[in-house]
Amino acid sequence: METVISHKGNSSVLKEKANKILGVNLQDAKISKSYLSVAFIALLIGGTLGLLQGLNRAGLLELPSWLNYYQVLTAHGLLLVVVFSATFTIGYFYAGMSHTLGGLLPKVRMMVWIGFWLKIIGVVLVVIPVLMNKASVMYTFYPPMAADPMFYFGLVFVVLGVWMACFGGFIQVANWRKNHKGQHLPIFSFFATGVFVLLVGATAFVAVEVIFMIIPWSLGWVDTINVMVARTLFWAFGHTAVNIWYLTAVSAWYVIVPKVIGGKRWSDLLTRIVVIALVIMNITGGFHHQIVDPGISESVKYMHVFMSLAIGFPSLMTAYAMFAVFEKTARKQGGKGLIGWYKKMPWSDVRFLAPFIAMLAFIPAGAGGIAQTTNQLDQVVHNSMWIVGHFHLTLGMSVAMTFFGISYWLVPYLSKRVLTKGMNQFGVVTTVIWTIGMITMSGAMHTVGLLGSPRRTSYSTYFENATALSWDPYLIFLAIGGTLLMVAAIMQVYAVFNLMFFAPKGETEFPIAEVEEGEAKTPYWTERWGIWIVLMIIVVAMAYVIPLTDFIVNAPPGSPPFKTW
Amino acid sequence: MNQKTFGLGLFIFLIIPPVANLMESVMIIHMHMQMPILVITGFLMAPFFQSKFPRFFEKWNQNGIPGILLFIIVVGYWMLPRTMDEALELWAVELFKFISLPFLAGVPLRDSWRKLGQAGKNAVIIFFSIAFITMGWLYINATMQLCNNYLLIEQITLGWGFLTMGIAFVIFLGYRFFFNPSAYE
Repeated sequence: METVISHKGNSSVLKEKANKILGVNLQDAKISKSYLSVAFIALLIGGTLGLLQGLNRAGLLELPSWLNYYQVLTAHGLLLVVVFSATFTIGYFYAGMSHTLGGLLPKVRMMVWIGFWLKIIGVVLVVIPVLMNKASVMYTFYPPMAADPMFYFGLVFVVLGVWMACFGGFIQVANWRKNHKGQHLPIFSFFATGVFVLLVGATAFVAVEVIFMIIPWSLGWVDTINVMVARTLFWAFGHTAVNIWYLTAVSAWYVIVPKVIGGKRWSDLLTRIVVIALVIMNITGGFHHQIVDPGISESVKYMHVFMSLAIGFPSLMTAYAMFAVFEKTARKQGGKGLIGWYKKMPWSDVRFLAPFIAMLAFIPAGAGGIAQTTNQLDQVVHNSMWIVGHFHLTLGMSVAMTFFGISYWLVPYLSKRVLTKGMNQFGVVTTVIWTIGMITMSGAMHTVGLLGSPRRTSYSTYFENATALSWDPYLIFLAIGGTLLMVAAIMQVYAVFNLMFFAPKGETEFPIAEVEEGEAKTPYWTERWGIWIVLMIIVVAMAYVIPLTDFIVNAPPGSPPFKTW
Repeated sequence: MNQKTFGLGLFIFLIIPPVANLMESVMIIHMHMQMPILVITGFLMAPFFQSKFPRFFEKWNQNGIPGILLFIIVVGYWMLPRTMDEALELWAVELFKFISLPFLAGVPLRDSWRKLGQAGKNAVIIFFSIAFITMGWLYINATMQLCNNYLLIEQITLGWGFLTMGIAFVIFLGYRFFFNPSAYE
């Protein structure tokens, strides 16, 4: 028995070495490249739809009746928040798992391919009714607005596809751990595990919502739906989803960026605690999206503020860790002064610049999030353009720009090509345009939201109402920002496909930073995922039992489906 | 701040009247948040008592069983609807709650847990899984108000809280049963 295990171990060590010497495994690279291609095609289409919306909101463009504002809005949200983010996340983590865990297992490869095609089928099923104007229910698909059942079946396929990728990841990780007894999971794969656990946890809620509530209702098998329960299940998913994309970005901040700038990783233990804390506390944070919803007592809302703010804590730990790494590295390279060390940072390297601006953006973005979590403050901005500004800052800046930064080394690594000086320069310009565009657009959205402009409505002057007319100058800025973003999106997509197919051949490193020398050994308890998952379930149960029991026991008669468009 | 001080600080925070009142205003938060956190404060403060009275623990809780029995009795007592009611009505019972949960449940739990073998630990978790699922069933299905101070809907909520918590314990037991840590560690 012993021989078998040690033989297995040896072969896997050999495989790992081979992987490092020969570079990427081509079969694994194909998986990641396929996922990334879908991600960036989704970015291009979703971005174009975003531009159409921006121009409409500024009163510059009237959309035709066969492609109205709400169709565009639904597709934009789904393509960017679900398709772009999820496919990028899976492609990126699978590339890293293949690299750090010694290549993917054949059955894992098969699972992730099945997941890929399930997702493609799902997206097609979702898009068809949207194009036919039968599903203008937006990304949140709140009942009682009801789309064509095909839309919901498509969502089920998307979730199944995500699950295949997640469970493939679990099998890969379990296999590695069996062959590396007592060792800590490599940090990149540790992040991947956290992300996949959260993805399964989050999508379980939306699966219950869609399969057991919405599909029977949209097919007419049941007459009514409990709207509050549906909304609650949705946000347990929706909020966690965006936090998962954020955690994906965070993984690059902790693991990749230090290597890119020539430094070391900050405390391995702290990094793992951040991942564990985000996994345990994340799902319950979704409740703050319902902070102005009816039917929930104020004391419950008040207590939920703590659950949401708890997520802010690991983010503050991240901010501390990141700037500590920057300062340490810059000082080692000769940086001097209280803040003068910043001059030593590699500002002209897009692989650093893009994620750095992304991190910086998370300071106002996170602060805005805290404001929205607070009951009284949220009452001022809820359902206004402020919220749209907020999630364009978090997702459009912090997450998307980190993803862009990643693409400049990940795509060449996967394609056995190199990032040329010229393409790096091109990436820097893209980053700058995207930054200016997003600051302009998101700033305008935040401001006009404070002035009362609602979200999720096409352009209207409300019968030449003076207040509504006062929004117009800001909305023009929104359109200008949106146009710049479109330019940057086209450049980014060009860069990705250029790096994938046309850049000069060569080897690119998968940049994973090492820990500091002499750092204390990370205790083994960080690896006990079973305990973290059970704790996550207990926290979720505690957080949701009060509102859900109330919604179900004291349920109103429920609502029939409505087609409001 | 070490865990003993943190435990004491948390304990003081929990007994401040506005905090206690807020937590006791919702039945499930009273039983599933205030009470467990009180136990946790005792758990955190336990090293102080263990270092001050090592012989006492050695003599009375050699194999961990007396301590865990005390823990089960105290926690079991506070799972009864009537005791919660009394804590809200009589200050002496409220005082007993604030003393018993940290010092007669949290402290012995910490002292006993390491002394219990794997089988003992599993037995405790199995006991609480069964207790929680039974209490959940009772609170969900009781057609009358069991506490004078809490409405029927709060009782049902507490029942679901018990049930979901019981399910989480069962998942944990399943994880222990199906996954052999020695295969990974």
